[in-house]
Amino acid sequence: MQRACVINVDEASLPKYGLRREKAKGTRMSYMDYFKVPAPLPELSRTSSIVGVGESDFHADYQAARAKEPGYEGHTSESLAVIAFDRALADSGLTRADIDGLGVNYLYGGPSAEETAAMLGLTPQHIMGPSGGICAGPIPAACHDIAAGKADTIVLIFSAATRSIGRSFGGQSVTTGGPSSYYYHHPWGWSSQAAHWALIWQHYMATYGATEADLASVAIQMRTNAMRNPNAIMQAPLTVEKYVASRYVVKPLHLFDLCLVNDGAVCLIIRKADMARDLPHVPVDVGGWGHAAVKTNKLHTLVRERLRPQFQEAGRQALEMAGIPLSEVQHFEGYDASTIHLINHVEGHGFVEPGAGLDFCKSGEMDVGGSLPVNMAGGILSGSYMHGWNHVAEIVRQLRHEAGPRQVKDVHTSMFSLAQTDQVHPLILMRGKQS
Amino acid sequence: MTQTRPNRTLGPGHDEFWAGCAEGELRIQRCKACGELAWPVVAACDHCGSEDLAFEAMSGKGKIVSWCSFVQDYYRGVMPVPYDTIMVELAEGPIFMSNPDGFACDESAFEMPVEVTFIDAEDAAGAFKLPVFRKA
Repeated sequence: MQRACVINVDEASLPKYGLRREKAKGTRMSYMDYFKVPAPLPELSRTSSIVGVGESDFHADYQAARAKEPGYEGHTSESLAVIAFDRALADSGLTRADIDGLGVNYLYGGPSAEETAAMLGLTPQHIMGPSGGICAGPIPAACHDIAAGKADTIVLIFSAATRSIGRSFGGQSVTTGGPSSYYYHHPWGWSSQAAHWALIWQHYMATYGATEADLASVAIQMRTNAMRNPNAIMQAPLTVEKYVASRYVVKPLHLFDLCLVNDGAVCLIIRKADMARDLPHVPVDVGGWGHAAVKTNKLHTLVRERLRPQFQEAGRQALEMAGIPLSEVQHFEGYDASTIHLINHVEGHGFVEPGAGLDFCKSGEMDVGGSLPVNMAGGILSGSYMHGWNHVAEIVRQLRHEAGPRQVKDVHTSMFSLAQTDQVHPLILMRGKQS
Repeated sequence: MTQTRPNRTLGPGHDEFWAGCAEGELRIQRCKACGELAWPVVAACDHCGSEDLAFEAMSGKGKIVSWCSFVQDYYRGVMPVPYDTIMVELAEGPIFMSNPDGFACDESAFEMPVEVTFIDAEDAAGAFKLPVFRKA
């Protein structure tokens, strides 16, 4: 089967906005090089709030795509974006006339922001530049633009028909000239994001004496969480036995250690905080953010240190900007591209000591009633592969106290952490006040 | 026996690496400004940004840091699955992804010493020598 769309970045196609020119000469790029993450300035803390959230029908669409009923046409990035936007706008209680900013993130291609505005019936005065696509980069950029007076209310759209386009996650078609996140060693047959996590897990087992059954606990926890979320893709219970019996993708990682591939869209509406207090829902304030990237020795840092220096640095930035200690974080959403990577987050940020993450999970501390509830909507392992945007959507529901059976009791501060293989980018979100 | 492999990356820098392999040497770039080694091939030093880089031969010795086995056929039949890959830390420092030669991943041990050897391989650009590692 011909794969229609792959990550294939060359210098000529790079967005000009914010590109660090000195990096363009080299062979290693990262998505985060495409734009500047605004400095984590304390004076920007809580100056913008998320006031609207909308998602497409992840579960129903996945079922329909799998069933391939006669006449089923599936979605496009555009149709998904429209659904998510309509829902976010209705959720916010705002009207189209209130929207004066727009940022679009079609991960694998789509219409321009201007075309999207026309499609959605919007006439924004401010259009954000390319912002990397994956969360959480666009959110600080939107907060920055709002603080700079470029807009009061920005619609951020993420949409990706990842499954429908047959996106490939490894193999020869993925270039070695692209971002360092995607540097593959082709002649040795070493490629795919999964292979990064596999190397980490093998090293982790050797270092801490962990077993495959230990890692199963993370997949099972994500599945348990997903089963409390009707829009999560995976709803069938998972057991250690089922996990161990599942096929390997890149050994020692099993099928259930790796995130889903599905279509979907998420829309967030971000508004100037002092204009966000009289809307139908409790506003969710953007308290802080941070960013740290691996600059040298990527595989060493990723496998041996599991990005701990980057987690520590980026987390410190975000917490300092928000003015809180880590102990105030009551709910955590981490980019769970793999089970072991979620443990990298939990250990890397310092919620537990290195090597203690799997016992922490096994003892239920990451469950809804635990000391650090993690990925309450099922993350991208069992919820929906929305590249972090779904994690932020879940934080909005949690901080509004609208998460039903998976609600973290009285939560007022949540942390989202995005980490690819070469960078960490956390966000602190806080329950705001209505007037 | 010559093995068919996924295509190498060729071009400036890469060509010098593969020329070294053809002569039985594992040559890695060293930055002449700050002295750091770089792998994979770079156009500018990751550490200091200098473009003044020169290839030099490594000892070929190293130790295994991690390993994984590919079951998913990412290369669509070019390499029969399953096959093994190892993450080697060269004695000089850089991490080098490769394949085990004469042993399987399951026989690997953390920090097991290995040394480079070169096997016959071919890709779309022709025959070449591929650096892999055997038990030292």
